[in-house]
Amino acid sequence: MTDLNLLLLQTVTGIALGSVYALLAIGLSLIFGMLTVVNFAHGAYFMVGAYIGVYVLSATGSFFASLLAVFFSTGLFGLLTERVLVRPLYGRGPDYPLLLTFGLSYVIIDVIRIIFGVEGLQSSTPAALQGSVNIGIGYFPIYRLFLIAAAAVIITALWLFIEKSRYGLIIRAGARDPEIVRILGIDVAKVWLLVFGLGTAIAGLSGVLAAPIRTVTPEMGIPVLVESFVVTVVGGMGSIGGAVIAGLLVGVVYSLTALYAPALAELSIFALMALVLVVRPQGLFGREGLME
Amino acid sequence: MEGAPSRTPYRLIATQVSRHRVAAVIAFLVVLPWLTPSHALAANILIFGLYAVGFNLLFGYTGLLSFGHAAFLGSGSYATGVVMVHYGWPWWLAIPAGITLAALIGLCMGYLVIRSRGIYFAMVTLALGQCVYFAFYKAEAITGGENGLRGVNVETIDLLGWKLDFQDPITKYFVMLVFVAAALWFVSRLLASPFGAVLESVRENEKRAAACGYDVARTKLLAFVISAAICGLAGALRALHLSIVPIDSLHYLTSGQVVMMSLLGGMGTFFGPFVGAATILWVEDVATILTKSWQLVVGVIFIIFVLFFPRGIWGSFLHWLGRR
Amino acid sequence: MNHPILVAENITKRFGAFVALKNVSVAFEAGRLTAIIGPNGAGKSTFFNVLTGAFAPTSGNVNYDGHDITGKKQHEFARMGIAKSFQITNLFPQLSVLENVRVAVQMRHSRFQLLTPRQSMKGLIDQAEGLLNLVGLSSYSSQTARDLAHGQQRCLEIAMALACDPKLLLLDEPTAGMSPEETLVMMDLIVRLADQRTVILVEHKMKLVMGICKRIIVLHHGEFLAEGTPDDVRANDEVKRVYLGQSI
Repeated sequence: MTDLNLLLLQTVTGIALGSVYALLAIGLSLIFGMLTVVNFAHGAYFMVGAYIGVYVLSATGSFFASLLAVFFSTGLFGLLTERVLVRPLYGRGPDYPLLLTFGLSYVIIDVIRIIFGVEGLQSSTPAALQGSVNIGIGYFPIYRLFLIAAAAVIITALWLFIEKSRYGLIIRAGARDPEIVRILGIDVAKVWLLVFGLGTAIAGLSGVLAAPIRTVTPEMGIPVLVESFVVTVVGGMGSIGGAVIAGLLVGVVYSLTALYAPALAELSIFALMALVLVVRPQGLFGREGLME
Repeated sequence: MEGAPSRTPYRLIATQVSRHRVAAVIAFLVVLPWLTPSHALAANILIFGLYAVGFNLLFGYTGLLSFGHAAFLGSGSYATGVVMVHYGWPWWLAIPAGITLAALIGLCMGYLVIRSRGIYFAMVTLALGQCVYFAFYKAEAITGGENGLRGVNVETIDLLGWKLDFQDPITKYFVMLVFVAAALWFVSRLLASPFGAVLESVRENEKRAAACGYDVARTKLLAFVISAAICGLAGALRALHLSIVPIDSLHYLTSGQVVMMSLLGGMGTFFGPFVGAATILWVEDVATILTKSWQLVVGVIFIIFVLFFPRGIWGSFLHWLGRR
Repeated sequence: MNHPILVAENITKRFGAFVALKNVSVAFEAGRLTAIIGPNGAGKSTFFNVLTGAFAPTSGNVNYDGHDITGKKQHEFARMGIAKSFQITNLFPQLSVLENVRVAVQMRHSRFQLLTPRQSMKGLIDQAEGLLNLVGLSSYSSQTARDLAHGQQRCLEIAMALACDPKLLLLDEPTAGMSPEETLVMMDLIVRLADQRTVILVEHKMKLVMGICKRIIVLHHGEFLAEGTPDDVRANDEVKRVYLGQSI
């Protein structure tokens, strides 16, 4: 194998990793854009998604069923969270919902420990997606190719939903100014509820998709939370396109550093973030003034 | 509040306590070892209380919510430990080394984080805190990596010929208390100073503070560095107390712990951080005996406070006193 | 004509495709009370924000006392002697009324003094009390700022703006949301303030400014429309046209 092929293969690995980051960042950004809530339990929903996914897959044998189950269960869980815990905090400033979801992540992690044990689960790649295939530059795991495709499908569906549908129009209007939505006679509370649920459902989906390439443990959400924050800071909140490009960029930077300087892999994404903060504080694709 | 006419004995007490807040806190800390089930718990409350005081300077008084403060506690511990273990520095020189490294890391983090605005603050501090964690984790030759840094031993302390046994828990506690008291005095003076007023004005309304002529970015940076230095001192004391520096000191959960302590105790109050530290550590102590799920217990308590008692224990108490 | 203290040259401000200000040039005379008026959407607030440095203009520049101040940071304005009040009340809500003004006064004396107790700095407290007296809030000094009535909050904001002893004071719709009584009190205060310094006022209610201002600038659709004494402006046909149906 030539060096160039190795480099290209590692880049594709980075894209696979980055497509999960992109999904996570979109979920985070969606919730923030609409509700100005930074969801610190985002990593916890990711972890719950992974657990439910692995459980349903082993029970039913159907990967597709596990995806559906995760989407609806983590989505429902998100709806409950917004309705019961987050909603009373609107109007008290952005720090309180943030603190609440932070506390919630502790609770979720321990509940999963009680149900599934502290050891973590053995996650297996679905039978149809095992093995490798030659993609012209070398052999590449089929599952990771699937991961890229699945993320692309989900992101495209979301993009169509947000840009083309009636509901998407409401979401986009609401992200700019909740007043407009209220004037149009739409129940803002309901929109916020659904957006929170959608955001957590996407986090859950990212979890089940990433399960075969990560170790499924109760604590797996913590590094994921950090990574999705890095992606969000790099991309800047506000656009799906920004989240996708930043997610892929972070994934590729990580993979390539892992290839050339393995010891620095974890640090590389923070260096990237620091660089972006120095050069372009609002993020590569962020609108200035959005966070004020 | 200070100097307000006190009509009832409750208010009188509240006024007196807030007027002599440093003395009041130190008095509490002096008797603390005899109130807790173990001396180790008292020492933990002392150290984490100081850590929360440093954090509270930023969160409670300046209004900046950081999720990366473990970086300062941890780097304070590591610097103190490393200069003692690898370079044979005496403990009294190692403590300033811990404070200095924490302040330097605070300066770098602060420089980056004040460039981001508003809600990004929590995300960027969390990420940078994790970056510091990995940096120390990977520097295994110096820090001991996953196993932590061992051998930060102080046998006796020689004060001009007067030898104190640092292995004795009570002696150790009171030696640490001297440093904590000095830090509390400093923080109290700082809060009462004109700069303390600028911090509060930045918390209350950044735009107005800038319109008044204050450089908000520089104010935040200075607050960040001072906060880091105080947490660094807490870290330095922790290294001496434990004789080792666990890698956990830098972990996200340690950053989260101080957020919980600060909110539970009462953000923006002087005594609140110690109340919060005592509560969380006590609950952990008791809960770990009864159940493995102490995080669940702490998390639920925290959520209840965020929802219903955002002033925290001490803050709610002061509020109640003020209304009597 | 007095020498101009603040000069805006060819100011254009775009927000995306929307042009909020088109090539506006205005010189404000020192020592005068000048009002900027115009119908809704005239670009008054945008112009105010450009003058006070909250927005950077897309092109053009702002000169103060002969120095180019375009793009200076917010906190530098107060230090140069330019103070402003915001259109939406902007205070330190949880601090006492006195502390609000005291912090503002303190800026010129002590920004990074870390260990002196602020209660011992009597001079600052006296100055703050003097300013509260000027705006008529002396008896409220120990109240929390957010508990004041709306009109009182606007007065408190002016006291805070005065704290840096400005040569130039810019006020963005200082009477917005006020009752008729409160409006009269505010107008009286503005006239008194204008005795000692240059005051620039952005106002929506034209009637208010006609009686008290020496000079009036009219904006319309982001463009400069007219300038002159109240009588000039009243007689101006262009102005009559844009304010169609309203008595001036």
